[in-house]
Amino acid sequence: MWTVFKLQWQRLFKNPLVVLTFLGLTVLFVNFLGGIQSDQKIITRTYSEELTIEELDEWITKLNEDDTFVFEASDYDSIYERIRMNETSFALELNEESYRFLVGREDMELSPIIQHVDQVFSREKRIAQLEESDLSEAFELQTFIELTTVLSDDESNVSQGFPVAILAGVTFYFSAFSIFYLMINLIEEKKMGTWNRLIFSPLSKTKIYLGQMLHYFLVGLVQIALSFIILSNLIDVDLGTNYVPMLVVILSFIFAIVSIGMFIIGIVSSPQQLQIVIPIVATSMAMIGGAFWPLEIVNNRILLFLAELMPIKHGIQGMMGVVNQGSSVSEVFVPIATLLFMGVFFMGIGLNLMERVSEKSSL
Amino acid sequence: MLETRELTKKFKEHVAVHNVSLYLNEGESVGLLGPNGAGKSTTISMMSTLLPPTSGEVHFKGKDALKNPQGLRQVLGVVPQEIALYEELSAYENMKFFGRIYGLKGEKLEKRIEDVLELIGLTERKKDAVETYSGGMKRRINIGVTLLHEPEVLIMDEPTVGIDPQSRNYILEMIRKLNREKNMTILYTSHYMEEVEKLCDRVYIMDHGEIIASGTNQELKDILSSDETIRIDVESLSSEFLERLSEHPVVQKVMQEEQGYKVIATKGDDLLGDVFDMAKSAHTKITGIVVQTPTLEDVFLHLTGRKLRD
Repeated sequence: MWTVFKLQWQRLFKNPLVVLTFLGLTVLFVNFLGGIQSDQKIITRTYSEELTIEELDEWITKLNEDDTFVFEASDYDSIYERIRMNETSFALELNEESYRFLVGREDMELSPIIQHVDQVFSREKRIAQLEESDLSEAFELQTFIELTTVLSDDESNVSQGFPVAILAGVTFYFSAFSIFYLMINLIEEKKMGTWNRLIFSPLSKTKIYLGQMLHYFLVGLVQIALSFIILSNLIDVDLGTNYVPMLVVILSFIFAIVSIGMFIIGIVSSPQQLQIVIPIVATSMAMIGGAFWPLEIVNNRILLFLAELMPIKHGIQGMMGVVNQGSSVSEVFVPIATLLFMGVFFMGIGLNLMERVSEKSSL
Repeated sequence: MLETRELTKKFKEHVAVHNVSLYLNEGESVGLLGPNGAGKSTTISMMSTLLPPTSGEVHFKGKDALKNPQGLRQVLGVVPQEIALYEELSAYENMKFFGRIYGLKGEKLEKRIEDVLELIGLTERKKDAVETYSGGMKRRINIGVTLLHEPEVLIMDEPTVGIDPQSRNYILEMIRKLNREKNMTILYTSHYMEEVEKLCDRVYIMDHGEIIASGTNQELKDILSSDETIRIDVESLSSEFLERLSEHPVVQKVMQEEQGYKVIATKGDDLLGDVFDMAKSAHTKITGIVVQTPTLEDVFLHLTGRKLRD
């Protein structure tokens, strides 16, 4: 296995252009897309059935004190209709003593917004409590409140100038490209006959496949790691120090991609066809999966359903959880498990198809 | 040493190989002769355990090689028809890799690489990428990587396709040396009958997935012992002359060639006189006529009605 693994690296070092190109494109695209999207605000539609219009406006003003989020007044009927039509994923209902969220579908932005609303509510509650008590030094109270607001921003991490979803999405997209392109080698080996030479040898097929796949796996990992290191040093992005869950998400994503690659080369038998299929598969996977824009702006149910089938969507979701909310492995279990399931599923079918192709081509 | 018993391979409805039984004795050099598409490559793919047969058996030293392929694979060398090398790597790097997959390492591996490079005459170019080699050099290194682990059985699938005569002779000489000096058992497939005649002790002739004849070169030629081959060169080809030749009672087969006709006819009868008469009446000028002893090519023509390279 290690002999095959080392050989693939040796071959990569002779022709490193593909991987280097995709690494460069990652940096370029993240800068470009990040620049476009970093100014985008998250809009939360807000309504109340208890408060007057003036009271609602007053609350919205308080909620909008933080520049990251935008709260807009609306009414229940139009909000209900928007959620029903999938045009928005959630809304905020404000009451005199409480608040609640109407959630139509899962949304990665919801968690920081809940945190923000909770902090504003707590702050207002404390002000109200202090006003009720006999305190005369209003100036000190104001200072205390400002400090609390700043702390809430740091905790949620969402106020950083760069969207993590874009960073993760584009990096995953180009790493998938590199892995798929390197996997063309496998088809070429079968065409050239070197694959048969390996089969003639005492090496077992399992070892041959493992050596190859471990190589693709590590190339993907190195590319993602390098992209994150370069980008976090180049631009205003803080990926935090939640390394273990981050690594688990990345490894699960690469596993899914390598498996999908095996599936593709099981179906497509010539390197020329693969060169056409790879950009189509990788790009559509990235577009549907939300690598280039947040899925929150998509309201087509079919596209949203398809997004669930894209590993890149689950990879981004995992990374958002790990970076923005400091989630542990168990807290991002759903995206990790989905990626692993995809990996096992496509690997099984892919290997089966590859073996059938091998038999036909060994003539 | 290596034996196949009634090997059959079907791809859906197409029968690529049908009931092929052949054997190789230790130290023997055996030819597998047949035109393109005869089923030679499929047969050797099954013999080398690359391709599972639809039915039949492969035995190596009395053991079932299909059930336990490791024993055979350890001592088997297969030279594929295509240049199966990593062309971006050098000859040395390719050898190092292929040596390692057979468990060679350290000094032993280095020594073997040195010896094989010497044998194939590529010591001077060992550090150059294979993609920079000529066709003949690529063929030699293609064989070289197969020799690293000193295989007991060497299966060669048309190893001289598309190369210049000089490289071809070099390779043929090398194979003969391996067989005689190292006592290597060789199965050599080709559609060049002269190569097989030169190299092999015994020959199997395949056509349409079946063995149609087998034996030593002489035994096969004896099939035509009562026949003779006459090559007739003419100034210009004539369909009338061809028709008359074919209709002659002692003529068994006529094959049109570039400059004339090849005729297989029963020995003893006075065909030559008739040939001149037929040429005259067909207004064809004969520029040369040669009576030959039969070759394996003629045997194949006799058995199948087709030339080997059709």
